[in-house]
Amino acid sequence: MAVIVRIPTPLRSLTGGAEEVQLEDVANVSEVIDTLETRHPGMKDRLLDDKGVRKFVNIYVGEEDIRFLEGLRTAVKDGEHISIVPAIAGG
Amino acid sequence: MGMTRRPIARDQATIAILGVGGLGAPAALALAHAGVGKLILIDDDEVDRSNLHRQILFRDADVGRPKLQATADALARRGLSTKTELREGRLDPMHTELLAGADVIVECSDNFATKFLSADAARLRRVPIVHGAAIRWIGTALAVGPEGGPCYRCLFEDIPPGAQAGCDIAGVVGPVCGVIGALQAHLALQALEGDAAFGTLATLDGLRDELRVRRIRARADCALCGSHPTIDAIDAARYHPAEE
Repeated sequence: MAVIVRIPTPLRSLTGGAEEVQLEDVANVSEVIDTLETRHPGMKDRLLDDKGVRKFVNIYVGEEDIRFLEGLRTAVKDGEHISIVPAIAGG
Repeated sequence: MGMTRRPIARDQATIAILGVGGLGAPAALALAHAGVGKLILIDDDEVDRSNLHRQILFRDADVGRPKLQATADALARRGLSTKTELREGRLDPMHTELLAGADVIVECSDNFATKFLSADAARLRRVPIVHGAAIRWIGTALAVGPEGGPCYRCLFEDIPPGAQAGCDIAGVVGPVCGVIGALQAHLALQALEGDAAFGTLATLDGLRDELRVRRIRARADCALCGSHPTIDAIDAARYHPAEE
């Protein structure tokens, strides 16, 4: 089972510039983040704090914000796209 | 979502543009050409040569001039009917009256403190606001209704900790600003017509040529527009990022 994680520009320094990362054998968002951390150290700290997903980061499974699903326990299905949307400033 | 406000005729509308830089310039241009009655322009900066690739209303001769005057002059050269009101200043907790009189606020600032402050001020004034941001190859635009639900704080709860790289450090691709500024103008015009745009989050990835448009949801525990809001006044202490 594979899912595709879309990496936003501010985090691509951790993925060697990769815009997408394909992950195998992950059942929920928490496992997605753990696997991302294993392959791209530093990612977990950018996404989570001790209370869960950081306040200025949104994680979507498909088109839905995981805050309105089951949070980090939200299940991911084969072929699913996971998007990370951080707050950005600038203009 | 049904219409809860009366539509505002475009030529009778007043739209405030907070920051006339990379996003504010294309937004102002689009809104003026759309026939908006009055634009309130808010800024306290001067044109720098490094701005010119994205702040499309300015010319070489404008370098060193106040952005407000340079913007007003650029719009006046087009001979449009839109009036401009120039408000020199920087939005801070002591000066939220800079936003007074607007039917819609178009937030084009370049830092999180101003984004969160303008979100709070707009909600407390019950004025729709269209937030925009752009950095490197990505940009976002979010339209928020006068009652929030959802609002900027539903999406991003608080100011990210530590110093954040803005366009002056990280850089931004000029056309990304153009697309996002135009989208903000588009959403502001929709806000004059009704409530349909509210809750729309557009995210542009300029490297992938991908524009995603989502409807975001209100959070019941949002501090600004939730069922038991805790933000009922502007408190200056709220607009400083926490230490990392």
